[in-house]
Amino acid sequence: MSHTAAAPAAGSPGAARAWGWVAHLRHGGTTPWSAWTGEAPPSGRVLPGAQQLELLRRLNLAASGPLTPDLAHRVLTAAAPGRGKPDLALVGVPGPAYGPRPVEPATLPADELVRVATSVLAEDVVRIGLPREPRGLPRPWARHHRVAGDPVLATAARGALSPRRLGRGRMVVIGAPLDQMLADVWTRRCFERGSGAWLEWLRFWQQRGQLPPRVDLPAVAERHAASPGGVVVVLDPTALPHALGVRRLPPAHRPGADAAELARRIATVVGLLVPPDERAALMSRTVWPRMPVTSMPPVSVPDEHREWVTRAAERMTRRLQRAGYPVVGDPAAVAPVLTGETPAPERPDAAVLELAVRMLVDDDWTKEAR
Amino acid sequence: MTIPPTTPPTAAAPTPVPSAPAKRVLLHVGTPKTGTSYLQDVLFRNREVLRGHGILYPADRFDGHFLAALDLMRLTWGGLETEAVGAWDRLAEQVRAWPGTSIISHEILSTASPMQIDRAMTSFGEGVEVHLIVSVRDLVRQVPAEWQENVKHRSLVSYAHFLEMIRDPARDTRIGSWFWGAQEIPDILDRWGAILPPEQVHLVTVPRPGSAPDELWRRFSHTFGLDGVDLDLTPERANPSLGVPETALLRLVNKRVTPVVDPPDYRPLVRELLAHQTLSRRTSSARLGLPPATHAWVQDLSRSWIAEVEQRGYDVVGDLADLLGAPSETFTDPDTAPADDLLPAAMDAITALLVEGSRLRESEANLARELEEARHELHLARRTAAERTVQALEARPSGRKALGAYRRVRGRHH
Repeated sequence: MSHTAAAPAAGSPGAARAWGWVAHLRHGGTTPWSAWTGEAPPSGRVLPGAQQLELLRRLNLAASGPLTPDLAHRVLTAAAPGRGKPDLALVGVPGPAYGPRPVEPATLPADELVRVATSVLAEDVVRIGLPREPRGLPRPWARHHRVAGDPVLATAARGALSPRRLGRGRMVVIGAPLDQMLADVWTRRCFERGSGAWLEWLRFWQQRGQLPPRVDLPAVAERHAASPGGVVVVLDPTALPHALGVRRLPPAHRPGADAAELARRIATVVGLLVPPDERAALMSRTVWPRMPVTSMPPVSVPDEHREWVTRAAERMTRRLQRAGYPVVGDPAAVAPVLTGETPAPERPDAAVLELAVRMLVDDDWTKEAR
Repeated sequence: MTIPPTTPPTAAAPTPVPSAPAKRVLLHVGTPKTGTSYLQDVLFRNREVLRGHGILYPADRFDGHFLAALDLMRLTWGGLETEAVGAWDRLAEQVRAWPGTSIISHEILSTASPMQIDRAMTSFGEGVEVHLIVSVRDLVRQVPAEWQENVKHRSLVSYAHFLEMIRDPARDTRIGSWFWGAQEIPDILDRWGAILPPEQVHLVTVPRPGSAPDELWRRFSHTFGLDGVDLDLTPERANPSLGVPETALLRLVNKRVTPVVDPPDYRPLVRELLAHQTLSRRTSSARLGLPPATHAWVQDLSRSWIAEVEQRGYDVVGDLADLLGAPSETFTDPDTAPADDLLPAAMDAITALLVEGSRLRESEANLARELEEARHELHLARRTAAERTVQALEARPSGRKALGAYRRVRGRHH
């Protein structure tokens, strides 16, 4: 190429200090930029941005041993996706008089570091690929079911049934308190196609005066009422194993608000790397079962949304009471419940960054599903 | 090289960009609102003609380079990004395989980071002469145009708040950060032109208001080496601007619809139907400008940019003085547009939506009819031989008689 390789920041003491810090971080260093004094020659054409460098430092701090050179390289060259800040220069490195102000990397908001982290994690997800479909002999004598309704409960039910007993037969529509179903739909969407942020998504449905299609239980049931196997709505969790023809069901796994938020952001980047259907499959079959467990509770419906959710639940109860199809359990069970738990913070940025760092440093999650 | 604004290039004029070595890439990275939609439309519609002249415009759809830019920069764009998977690598592959000149053009590339630029430059392969082309327009027009673009992309932000955000030197907001990423000319040239000699960096200025209508195309044509190529220049695609009441109305509409209309529906219904096809036709309303204080600030900034760019020795096509912008005029504030001014635009909007609703109803009825016909065809195709025989007999009097006789013999009446 006639655009000969060059290191724009090379040649000044500030630039040499920056390249020195790059080398330090590549070798597992944890010294903040403000305390760094060493120098080194350029090791690339472009000095990485402050976000990439600071993320690498945080990874080094969290790691029990040195990171692989490959991971360090991927972090330093990662594109921060979306419309956030551009790659920022380090304060103290002489550069052009134009462009965004240089920064002290330790002061960067967690959200900016998460952007870079999601880029690397999304590449990991694509690299892992889809798990193999479980196989087994068909069981023609067993009763088959289809499952719909609350997507978190439905996922657990499908897992218990296994593919050999799914795909035809009676449609079992699983219900729960409406606030939980809303939280479950959003959480599950984060692990499928991605979504808007939780409160933005909730406002969307509030303003539309509608419910997300998969938890509009009467609408789901009515759609399948005339199907050959018939339909049943199950609102009583203790009756669900019987309705599905299994002895017991594993407890439903609900990722915390921080895990869902990280998945939501990873899904956005995965969507830039693979076609939409593949993204949904990777997020639901690869990321969902492997996402590390965190201590943060799942998202919950905040007080300002309780009124419309309660009214919607009351309407749903009335429709279920008038249903021409079987409903197992009390139709009033869709009323929202106050859990009494401390709700997850509205913007769990710090926890999301902590989880992203944990996943980058410890690649156990990439090895096998729970 | 500086060409006078209205003098056509002559044999004595400096040699335009793409006439020398064999393999080169003309990389046009913006900026937004500088006639880029028109340029890209001409290049796309004439790509076969261009190919005959040894020039590749590698795109199989009008927005092909937009998708490639989204892919390169890992940008989301209301769901469009899902169509962009692998688009940059495919584009670069075509460029590498083409022995002559390739043109790449999209204005959002102006915001690329140094790392992304490095990836882009590397992707063209060895032995390629890259020419950077940046089309630029004065901030006096760019600032209001960028606010309008924000409003056409679901933004609720008022004009006053927008101006406040772009004047904040910290650029901490998403709007401020994006605006300067796409508009700060010296910074764009620093990022994209860092590794290119100045003679391979070409700055095309957008002519001042009142210039000949084809002057901008003339500058583009000269810079891209298209003079003498017989191109169809019929304007089919543009990104028209809105007046003050129309933009104010659209912002109010956004307040109501953004919580309930998803981006995939917003784009065709609000941005295309309302903004581009309806409200932009109202050309007699007040045009948006800058408040006097902002106008003075913007011109001071532009002077410093002109001085900076002048001393860098780039090839300037047009006149750097174009960047100064027109003197301040009467300012009409969109944030305080009275309801009376909004009403005519609102009536046009309602009419357009009702017409579109009628069209969709008709389309829905046609689809329902086609579906019914298809179902009927399917039913006919699935008939048993006996059903086919019975239906064929029932269609004729003699057949009905024969069928009646058969049924009497079998003891059935139906």
